[in-house]
Amino acid sequence: MDVPRVVRTHISSSELDPPQDLVDAVNNGHVGLLEIVKALGEYLTSTEDDVRLKGLTFLSNTLKAVNPAKINRQATQTLTNFYLSKLDDFDSLPPALGGLTVLSKLSTFDDDAAVEVYKGLVENVNMKSYMQATRHLVYVLFDSLLATHRNALKAMGTAFINSYTKMVDGEKDPRNLMLLFSIDRVILLEFDVKDRIEDFFDITFCYFPITFRPPPNDPYGITADDLKLALRNCMASSSHFARMALPLFLEKFSTLTGPSMKDLQLTIAACLPVYGPEAVRERGGELWEGIKTEILYSSDTAIEAAALSALEALIRTLYPTNQDAPSGLAQDFIKECLEILNEPEKSQAVAATKILAAIFRASPSAGKFALSQTFPQLFRQFNSPSLPSHRAPILSTISSLLVAVQSVYSSPSSQRSQSQEKALDPYRDGILDVLREGLRTSGLREPSIKGCTACVQIPGFWSKEDVEDVVRGLDDVLVNDSEPEIRPEVIRSLTTISTLQPTIIESLTLPLLFHNLPDSAPSASDHTAREKYRSILSSLEELCVQPALFQTLVIRITTKLDLLSSSRNSGAHGGEEEMGEFDLRECNIAYAWDLLHTLQGVIEKKIQEKHTDLARYFDQIIPRLWTLLISAALPKIGDEKPLFRDRRLIGLVAKLGEGLIWELNPERQGKWITAVYQAFEKGDWTGVVHDRSQIGSGGSPLRNGASSSEQDLIALYAGTVQGLKGDTSLPFTSAAEFLSSKVHWTINVARDGWQVKGALDLICSLVNKRETELKDSLETIVDSVWSVEIQDTSKDVEIRHRGLSVYLNIVKALSLLRLPLAYSALEKVIDILSLSNLDPEFVPHAAAGFGILAQGKGKGHLTSKLLYAQKLWNYVLPKLIDGDKEASGKGRLVYLVAFASLLPLVPASLCLADLNTILPLILRSLSLPDPQQRINAITTLVSILETATDSKEVDKAIHGNAEVMVDSLLKSAVRQDSLPTSGKARSIALSCLSLFPDVIRFESLHNYKSIVVRELGKTLDDPLRNVRKEAVECRAKWYKYGNAT
Amino acid sequence: MSRQLDNDNPTIFASKVSTSNRRLQKGKASLWAEEALSDDEQVGGEGYYSSASGEEREDIDSEEVYDLLRSITDPEHPVSLEALRVVNPEDIHVAGNRVLVYLTPTIPHCSMSTLIGLSLRVRLLRALPPRYRVDIRIKSGTHQSEHAVNKQLNDKERVQAALENKHLLGVVEGCLSSADKRGAA
Repeated sequence: MDVPRVVRTHISSSELDPPQDLVDAVNNGHVGLLEIVKALGEYLTSTEDDVRLKGLTFLSNTLKAVNPAKINRQATQTLTNFYLSKLDDFDSLPPALGGLTVLSKLSTFDDDAAVEVYKGLVENVNMKSYMQATRHLVYVLFDSLLATHRNALKAMGTAFINSYTKMVDGEKDPRNLMLLFSIDRVILLEFDVKDRIEDFFDITFCYFPITFRPPPNDPYGITADDLKLALRNCMASSSHFARMALPLFLEKFSTLTGPSMKDLQLTIAACLPVYGPEAVRERGGELWEGIKTEILYSSDTAIEAAALSALEALIRTLYPTNQDAPSGLAQDFIKECLEILNEPEKSQAVAATKILAAIFRASPSAGKFALSQTFPQLFRQFNSPSLPSHRAPILSTISSLLVAVQSVYSSPSSQRSQSQEKALDPYRDGILDVLREGLRTSGLREPSIKGCTACVQIPGFWSKEDVEDVVRGLDDVLVNDSEPEIRPEVIRSLTTISTLQPTIIESLTLPLLFHNLPDSAPSASDHTAREKYRSILSSLEELCVQPALFQTLVIRITTKLDLLSSSRNSGAHGGEEEMGEFDLRECNIAYAWDLLHTLQGVIEKKIQEKHTDLARYFDQIIPRLWTLLISAALPKIGDEKPLFRDRRLIGLVAKLGEGLIWELNPERQGKWITAVYQAFEKGDWTGVVHDRSQIGSGGSPLRNGASSSEQDLIALYAGTVQGLKGDTSLPFTSAAEFLSSKVHWTINVARDGWQVKGALDLICSLVNKRETELKDSLETIVDSVWSVEIQDTSKDVEIRHRGLSVYLNIVKALSLLRLPLAYSALEKVIDILSLSNLDPEFVPHAAAGFGILAQGKGKGHLTSKLLYAQKLWNYVLPKLIDGDKEASGKGRLVYLVAFASLLPLVPASLCLADLNTILPLILRSLSLPDPQQRINAITTLVSILETATDSKEVDKAIHGNAEVMVDSLLKSAVRQDSLPTSGKARSIALSCLSLFPDVIRFESLHNYKSIVVRELGKTLDDPLRNVRKEAVECRAKWYKYGNAT
Repeated sequence: MSRQLDNDNPTIFASKVSTSNRRLQKGKASLWAEEALSDDEQVGGEGYYSSASGEEREDIDSEEVYDLLRSITDPEHPVSLEALRVVNPEDIHVAGNRVLVYLTPTIPHCSMSTLIGLSLRVRLLRALPPRYRVDIRIKSGTHQSEHAVNKQLNDKERVQAALENKHLLGVVEGCLSSADKRGAA
């Protein structure tokens, strides 16, 4: 390789990175480094600054690129000396520093060289005259020397420290400071800095407090917090700082505010433990004053929290162990707090409580002492309060202290424990007494519950009897329900107890709750009784998620449902008493619904938390519930209407079943679907019910001539199929035949919309999961539905509507899998939109039918592929836009309806990408007559406004159309007789309007402010409370819009 | 702190959970849980239990007015008027098109009473339909210059004049900035 030629070409073309083949040649030994240096010779010694700089840079870059092992001792030495000679050369400094940094990391670079380089730097480089990047290189080199040759620099003694502090003095750039602070910390920790500590104090504490604010779009990404943290670590590096630092802190207490005050408190928290007890004790009283002020008087919770951590540090430093006598400062602090607590209802008492809790957390000895001083006084105050209203805040203080104790004793990382410190032992009875008293007394329950929960969680504090005692008290609160607002607290407490001691809850709480559930529903006018059972049920719903308690819930609820179903003639004598608006049957249905809903709620939570015990309960739950429903559905003598014929109950059981079946393994699913198939197709109920004797001889509910109530059971069938997984084996041979029969049933047999809905779910789920089995015949089925049921205009409109629903559900099931058939089938639906003049009854229905596609995957168990929504949207949207362009007059409306119906399918980000096309459509959709379609349009608009920030184009589009949007939204928000509307439409229009003041610049809408405020005045009088609430918030925002803040 | 506070350590009361969820529901809502009704709506329209199209009117009551006022911040402390018991649900009366609010100053010489009253008035001016006539009064016997304050608060022109004062309006806006929390912490 011709090294001189390569070097020459590179330098003369100002290409200063070494070519790869040169680097390779050095690495495999063909070319020596010396050769390169020789070749560079004339450049390196050139008198022209520019040329010399190029030569040096090339050399340094080469060093950086080659394998470090190829630089031998000889070369290292020579190069080091060469670079050292360049340090006083102003222009050559940056490449020289780069080269030295590479060399300093080599094993061939010895301690002497390190010292020499360091000395060279401090003697020759005048930091003030260089720019930030060059200074940064110096610090990087320092850092490297310090990392590899620390001992050599240490041996320099004070000479090093003197020169170092001079070098870095006056640095201001945050990028450099970040590096310097970390170097400072190493030196402070490792070197003997005692004699020169004042110099170090000067170069570190001068930056405190940091008020740096990064410029907008700062590419370096250094935040004020990074700097604060780095500096804080420096300040807390040496105990020698104490002498100078503490007076500085004390002085800053009176001058700093806001974030700087928070910084000060956090810095104190970090420094005190390092500075040590002797130094801190001297100024402890003064520190306390400064810290206390921020806890007692600050209105900023962040500063308060910082001050509390400073206080903890102070106490921890002064009283680190179990053995310290808690005399001196701690005594004074505690005394002050106790004085404040003499007025327990005042705002400072809350702060004093926090101080006491912090003292406990910080030190075993001072903490124990604090409790010994505080508890007796609080008990005394509680038992003979100067004002009765004082008891609640006193109890709340007691509980807060117990929470602090619990947080220390039950934390797994903590070294402290109740069994070892026994801090609470002397007050055991007192605590139990006040907490029990609190549970019994109105107004004291909340703080008492908090305390009880804490005590239960302190390991080894309460015995089983104590917990039982408290649980009884909690149960009373729950059952008597005198204060509904604390019910959630009780439940939380009981749930906590149930994780620790499930048997107590099982034997005490559950029986009591179930005992208080009525056997049949209270009458319609008895609101109190209904509220009570609802409250008990919602308690159970939270508690029984625990595996240990779920069994009881299942048994008790199914028993209650059995009872309800057998009290069949209770409706007969209902006429005698005052029933309110509803008869007893309706009340019982509502009660049964609530019971089932509780069960469903628990099951859903268990599914979410992935409990494994659910599958075990399948046989205990589903066949039992099905028995109730099926025996009710079968034909009865006379005009008896059993409770469990109600569709709301059937729907709920179906949903519950779907969830549970999904949790079964494919083998058990297969068994179950076989039994269900036998029942529905053959009329053999044996496999699906729990008690065969209750079921008379019934035929298949799908046969021709089945009664309407039997047909309602389709929902159970659908629920089962929806819960099946794709690989479960099915009991029939031809999926296509099965599908055809269901399609036929849906279109021709089902009696009304409710039954159709159930059947549609079944069809959709079947197609979605069994597409592979259906493959060949699917297209035929889809085509025949289209040509036979939909296209034939002579057919009944209802039949055609049902046909379309079936068709679109199949399309939806396929589109979730992104199958081509979905799109080709959908094309036909889009095509008929142009026929709105010829088929005026059907086409608008077809347009609204796009809402079926917009449901997407929903909450059920359908299978979907990634980006299915985007693909469908991108397929349909251009066609709708084209159709809309070609149509005229009223014909355009159907395209708009289709568009608005489809909108919920896609996330706002997709709309944003193509906003210029979509926004006009959305704006037009805002004036559609159907409230649901307007809701779709407004919902999309809301998410557009919420996410639209960065793109200029989007910004322009929404600002340009702001007036139009406001106009249409106002029309939707104000209730008018001429426009069909719903509470939801009005309320979402209002919440969308309230986004404008945040998103749209005031210039674009300043003319509109008064109009909007006036129009919103009308919405304040909306009949619905929720709408009024939105209106008030929206109007408040518009009042503030444009006001200088 | 530029000025001595009138009351630098006021009594704080625990917030009461709104009783609004205890309002008796009417019609179907009295019997059925919310979820049941919303399920109904989804299936609805098919004639089985179609949700009644007429919306039942929920009238504005004292509870709702209290809800509008409770979270306004006190001018002296970062604490809501509810926590200081300056406004209480029992002291709000609604009848027909009239609303009457009594406010209770924390101490009898509180110079902030007028400002608090003004904040309440502005809030209600903005949040109640214009058909309401609002009276705001100091609860009898809780303030030294009750009459003067009452007069000032219920004189339209004086209120208008006060709101034209930019600084005063700024302070009122500050107090109102937390009003939308409605009792939530």
